[in-house]
Amino acid sequence: MSFDTRTKLAIYRYFAETGHRPSLEVVAERVGADASSVREAYVRLRAQRVLVLEPDGVSIRMAPPFSGVPTQHLVIVDDTKYFANCAWDSFGIPAALHRPGKVHSRCEQSGEPLNLEIDLEGPPPCNWLFHCLVPAARWWDDIVFT
Amino acid sequence: MLFFRSEERVREWCAAHEYPMRPLVTMDQLWTLATTWYSTRLQEHSRRPQPDEMRSIFAGLGLGGDFWNPQSDSFS
Repeated sequence: MSFDTRTKLAIYRYFAETGHRPSLEVVAERVGADASSVREAYVRLRAQRVLVLEPDGVSIRMAPPFSGVPTQHLVIVDDTKYFANCAWDSFGIPAALHRPGKVHSRCEQSGEPLNLEIDLEGPPPCNWLFHCLVPAARWWDDIVFT
Repeated sequence: MLFFRSEERVREWCAAHEYPMRPLVTMDQLWTLATTWYSTRLQEHSRRPQPDEMRSIFAGLGLGGDFWNPQSDSFS
């Protein structure tokens, strides 16, 4: 397995285990490498669009579907709380973990709460809607806004 | 990428922010997108869908046109 893949998996598995982003030092410890090597891997993983970093270049903002910072999309799986980057990613967390989960979010216009219990087959019958403002070709121009 | 209670709420939100209204996606369609993108994300050989695969995935859900085309230059 390549170093970049080991780094990516260390990040994602830490999120899966804890619901939180790992520090650079924790990732370095998990992959058995020095922090500067991990930081270089972060840059390559960003280019692959599997990691989004804060401006400091080391704090993880997104490891989609996981968010490194609190958002309006809370997902609970097996008593662990996760934040998702967006509505799509809120469904992506149970999908990535292959576990049932509870999605708590809201209607962006009215503020009405959305509480969905997702099982392994997906959400129950539900007439809420998903709306994506940014065209697919522009998603990664500003992925945080998207 | 947001949730809305109804099409009317989407319309109101877009009007309030002077945003164009985009194609709407059902919860079942969203679940398919989520599983397609993320079901292997914690595994060694996972990777994001490539542009051709993305088009195929979207088309399979009835999400076509320039908006869902990751290589469209219509929005430059």
